[in-house]
Amino acid sequence: MARVVVLGAGISGHTAALHLRRSLGKNHQVIMVTPNSKWNWIPSNIWVGVGKMSAEQVTFPLAPIYKRKGIEFHQALGTSIHPEGDKDHAKGFVTIKYTSPEKAGEEGQIEYDFLINATGPKLNFAATEGLGPDGHTVSVCTSGHAIEAAAELKEVIAKLKAGQRQRLVIGVGHGTCTCEGAAFEYTFNVEHELSLAGVRDLAEIVYLTNEYELGDFGVGGMSFAQRGFETNSKLWTESLFLERNVKAILQSHVSKVEAGVIHYEQLDGVKRTLEFDFAMLLPPFRGADIKAFNKNGDDISSEIFAPSGFMKVDANYTPKPYEEWSASDWPTTYQVPAFPNVFAVGIAFAPPHQISKPRTSVTGTLIAPAPPRTGMPSGVMGKTAAKTIIDQIKHGANGKVHGASMANMGAACVASAGAGLTTGSAAAMTMYPVVPDYEKYPGVGRSSKDTFGEIGLAGHWIKYMLHIMFIYKAKARPFWFLIPE
Amino acid sequence: MDNFADLSGAPRPIKKTLKMRKNPLFQFWRFINLNLRMVAMIFKGDH
Repeated sequence: MARVVVLGAGISGHTAALHLRRSLGKNHQVIMVTPNSKWNWIPSNIWVGVGKMSAEQVTFPLAPIYKRKGIEFHQALGTSIHPEGDKDHAKGFVTIKYTSPEKAGEEGQIEYDFLINATGPKLNFAATEGLGPDGHTVSVCTSGHAIEAAAELKEVIAKLKAGQRQRLVIGVGHGTCTCEGAAFEYTFNVEHELSLAGVRDLAEIVYLTNEYELGDFGVGGMSFAQRGFETNSKLWTESLFLERNVKAILQSHVSKVEAGVIHYEQLDGVKRTLEFDFAMLLPPFRGADIKAFNKNGDDISSEIFAPSGFMKVDANYTPKPYEEWSASDWPTTYQVPAFPNVFAVGIAFAPPHQISKPRTSVTGTLIAPAPPRTGMPSGVMGKTAAKTIIDQIKHGANGKVHGASMANMGAACVASAGAGLTTGSAAAMTMYPVVPDYEKYPGVGRSSKDTFGEIGLAGHWIKYMLHIMFIYKAKARPFWFLIPE
Repeated sequence: MDNFADLSGAPRPIKKTLKMRKNPLFQFWRFINLNLRMVAMIFKGDH
């Protein structure tokens, strides 16, 4: 009997657990350890944040799904990893702290044969003073945050209806943030809602970002072939901002937020302030607070984890200048080199470097969008790790090691720009590969055939279809596995 | 002082473009087309 422990039931961890359970016999154990009781389809939090959906529409309880599928569920936080075991454990094990109301605070240990770290990000609001729901800004990172954002937006709309001008600032709250696409989506959903409420003319909307130029999205932008011409996501995104009268402040690192005032620095080193009535700023991410120890009990966290707290896997982490970065630096198996039975997938793995060119301001402040590794790539990574584990359990050490590199993986990003069956809109973009490969695709690093973008009602339908499909898949309904990650 | 990006060089969509972005029949065709292209893109790479 083999035991596989998965830490984290986000997109990658949940996907891995379902594939493991489907392919492994009942004599093998699949154990899920995750601090939340509910699964959240995070891309739809955008719609919760403008009041178009309830939290119940984007979340569901995990326990019934895991009970039905035969996955052992511990509502708990992973606190440490012991890949070599210790004097009491011959195998590797994890320590956990329960978060469920019945067992809150209790600690436990679970041995494993294989471990998947899919702990996702720690929302690092603390990196910027005054950022986040405990500070002066709102967030849409969780469904709970999005509910608060919707309530605050409702108050702003009421003030606008009363004739008061309002400035809404939406974007990222630190120079090293990722998920600019989510901030972009929220910007245009808010704009859409204000238009529907008939108060758009009294509102000033500002998109505040660490991107060097609009359309970067943390992936260095995209080039599209359209109607016989080569265009790019910069031009395309700028056009949307111009059309919807949304202002943009680029190349920014938010250093502090006070009540009604954002302090930010740009690449020119000048420190500026921006007053606001409503601000939704995404936080930077760091790895989950989890430590690693060897069999003697010595802390080996610095060997296993990067300084950012993300787990180091089979990537090339040698520091080198931007010009020398290569697609082959990116991991394929997501195995930890020293412990091949330990995997890190989704946001939990440490990327070897950014995808967008990192820059520093005149004063030395790093302003560099972090690479996105959410959604579709996350699911593929989870499935890849699961396939390797399944083969190694079935065939021993000779089992096939599967690979899926972000440099050989496409991603679809459907950025909602307003909801509604006939009034909705979205920017549907795909890129292949996610990490540019300049050897395979000289010039722009991506396939011009498979990298494209389009704005329109069809994009909204696709986004809504993905919402339905992925919640169906996550609930492990019949034939869920036929839906691609 | 605010330092807004200069977007004046960006192309502004013409009325026909905006209309087509909301035309249900045209958008239904785009929906099919985009889905097929996305599926092709997914299966081309590691998935």
